[in-house]
Amino acid sequence: MNFKKYLKSTAVIIGAATLSAGTAWAECATDSLPGEMAKPDGFPARALTMVVPYGPAGGSGQVAQAMAQAVTDLTGVSINRDHKPGGSGTVGMTAYMATPADGYSVMEHIDDAASAHALDSGRPNPAEDLIPLVTSQITFSQVYIRENEDRFSDWPTFVEWVKAQDGKATIANVSKEGSMERVTMKFITDATGMKIQQISFDKGAPRYGALAGGQVDALFEQPGDVRKFLDAGKFKPILTILKEAPEAFADVPSLTDVGLDFEPLFRFRGFYVKAGTPDDRVEWLKWAFQKAYCEEGYQAYNESKFMTLIESFRDTDGSKELITSTIAQYRDVYKEMGLEVK
Amino acid sequence: METFNNFLGGTAALFGDPVGIFIFLGGVIGGMLFGAIPGVSMLTLAAILLPFTAHLSPEHGIMLFSVIYCTGVYGGAITAILFNIPGAPENAPTAFDGYPMTLQGKAGKAVGAAVMCSAIGGTVSCVIMMFATAAIADWAISAFGPPEIFALVFFGLAVAASVGAKTFWKGWLSIMAGLMIAVVGLDPVGGIERYNFDMPYLAAGIHFIPTILGFFAVSEIFVQAEKKATGAYKAPKLSVDFPTFKELWAHKIAVVRSIIIGFFCGILPGIGATLAAFMGYNEAARWSKDRLKFGTGQIEGVISSETANNSATGAAMIPLLALGLPGGALTAMMVGVFQMHDMEPGPLVFLNSPDLVWVVFAAMFFANLSILLVGFLEAKTIVNLLRIPFQYLAPMILLLATVGAYAVRGLTIDIVVMFVAGVAGFFLRRSGYSVAGIILGLILGKIGEQTFAQAMQMLHFEFSGFLSRPIALGLLIAGAITIFGSIYGAFFKKQPVPTAAQDDSAQSL
Repeated sequence: MNFKKYLKSTAVIIGAATLSAGTAWAECATDSLPGEMAKPDGFPARALTMVVPYGPAGGSGQVAQAMAQAVTDLTGVSINRDHKPGGSGTVGMTAYMATPADGYSVMEHIDDAASAHALDSGRPNPAEDLIPLVTSQITFSQVYIRENEDRFSDWPTFVEWVKAQDGKATIANVSKEGSMERVTMKFITDATGMKIQQISFDKGAPRYGALAGGQVDALFEQPGDVRKFLDAGKFKPILTILKEAPEAFADVPSLTDVGLDFEPLFRFRGFYVKAGTPDDRVEWLKWAFQKAYCEEGYQAYNESKFMTLIESFRDTDGSKELITSTIAQYRDVYKEMGLEVK
Repeated sequence: METFNNFLGGTAALFGDPVGIFIFLGGVIGGMLFGAIPGVSMLTLAAILLPFTAHLSPEHGIMLFSVIYCTGVYGGAITAILFNIPGAPENAPTAFDGYPMTLQGKAGKAVGAAVMCSAIGGTVSCVIMMFATAAIADWAISAFGPPEIFALVFFGLAVAASVGAKTFWKGWLSIMAGLMIAVVGLDPVGGIERYNFDMPYLAAGIHFIPTILGFFAVSEIFVQAEKKATGAYKAPKLSVDFPTFKELWAHKIAVVRSIIIGFFCGILPGIGATLAAFMGYNEAARWSKDRLKFGTGQIEGVISSETANNSATGAAMIPLLALGLPGGALTAMMVGVFQMHDMEPGPLVFLNSPDLVWVVFAAMFFANLSILLVGFLEAKTIVNLLRIPFQYLAPMILLLATVGAYAVRGLTIDIVVMFVAGVAGFFLRRSGYSVAGIILGLILGKIGEQTFAQAMQMLHFEFSGFLSRPIALGLLIAGAITIFGSIYGAFFKKQPVPTAAQDDSAQSL
């Protein structure tokens, strides 16, 4: 397996240009959209239903709530959230695909939908079987250690220490087969030559507790999810998995800084409607969700979750591009990893 | 002294504000009602209220959720005792002896015991929470990693297998059945689909709430309907005689033991009140001199379960407030309340918002005390539901259970699971298998498999790694001794089997 060749040859469309560090977005991405839009033939005449394939308390549940509230504030249309957790998003997606394409059902989903399709093309393709209304959160990952750690203090000493453990060092993440976390860790371990045992925690609290309590040596996570530990001085990042470090983490080395040359994978969350929904309804939904992205309440939420460090917004075309490139990237990686790609 | 002063400050802030008092009382009553109504739970109420907390002050929002948490855990005991329908999973063990007590005309004593012990368990854990949150939180996450939690699960299963079934083999077969059901769905490490037969909805696994509703509520209706059809049905006797102080004092050791167990389970992220209630009940059954009568209407069973599950509520706030680690669904929603106000639970809350913390502590303390007052009043009225004739009550219970099963995840398959469990429970209960064992196997199986896989990864796939972790080793040894003890009792001492499975008035646990 020649991963270096893969890493150098992979052209991923998520460009560093849009992810450049330290950019200030004084103007919001959809400020140019009109403040109002006539309802096409009275649509929607009743409340929308938003299928959320995860529980209400996690990242998806929270962003679904924030976006639903923003859309309601903007349009006055209520949105009922219907949480259908299980099967890493499979259950919610299956339930959503069984709903009529009338625009009254929308769905929240994350990049797992793209990676699931990459592994099994029988699963819905979010860029083709669904119409992305908006991608409202895009974030990057980091590697964290405890602030009071005395065995290593930064990325170089961490790598050196891990290598000395001969495979006995541990890192907590969500290491589901083919997940963004596992694929990224493979990029890192292949490039550095270190062996590290990934411990899979599917829920955030036990995962963060494992690092805080010294059960594992490091943690792979997105900054918004561990912000409270960063603010409290409990955790500190030692690697930002981006080509260039954003301003908020200017003192944390990026991939380029530590000589790692691979295209980073991102966690992204967005909102969709089924393909086949009447065009005029799709247009209204696109306007509502994209405009709601710039509502004050939603922007404050994204800010609180560190979702403004890199550009989090993609319109329909941008979302399709993001999803399509992500699927292609995952598919290539899966083949390299020897996974059965259907 | 500083703690006491802080507590007084929190109390003054809580009751010195009319809006605060109104929200507090609303949380107390709402938690009890939603906990008591089968099919909905305190989680339902919390999910409904979550968006509205944005319009409350942070103190009021968090206080409301913490009060709902305390009273909601208690509320589910009422329906568990009166109708064999646990309002929430953590009330399931309460039904084991509470419902047989109702059938024997002792509903008032069972409900009274639940009221008293929920208040005691919750209040004591609340006081410990006030004094030692930071120290306990740090200790818990340092001392308890996946190997220790797996060992705790192993111990819990070993104890459960020895309690409630008609024979040694039926006890273990019940546990194994629960463990087998637990593996349906995605495996917890690699996310590989197992036993879902290409059905996407089964990829989500079999949820324990529809299973509990089926085994308890639906099968109970089948049992009573059969009695009705054969003319053997006797309406439960109405009773509002609460237990005397002397009766409760006789079980003081069970109360203390359940407080410790409940508190211990509550502080572990992801474990919580359900395991607390089952372990509290199991340990009570194991150490009681009336062990063989558990499941036939022993007040000690109600006492141990309700003390333990409420004891877990105060404890669960410790990792949430001190570390920002929610232990279950409701505490995870509290994180959402914090975030709506641009706050994060964790160490900084104590530094930045001490007023909020102490208002919450005071509210939880008084919410537990209010269980005594409101709980007694509520119990006096709800017991009268037993006057409703069975032919009218049964369809209502079935309807509520069906709504409850569907409401968990919005999946139709959960309704199917509930009715399959109901039919299975109908036959299992008369054959001496342990329905409780199956439920516990299902609940603990998921936790156990995940923590075992994590432990093996952490220990580099060497079982000997458990030897280097004293707490895990101690729990594994305790579990092994329990298993050998039950084998010895069953095959060498020829101990008499528990009577629960044989007694027609009771259920097989």
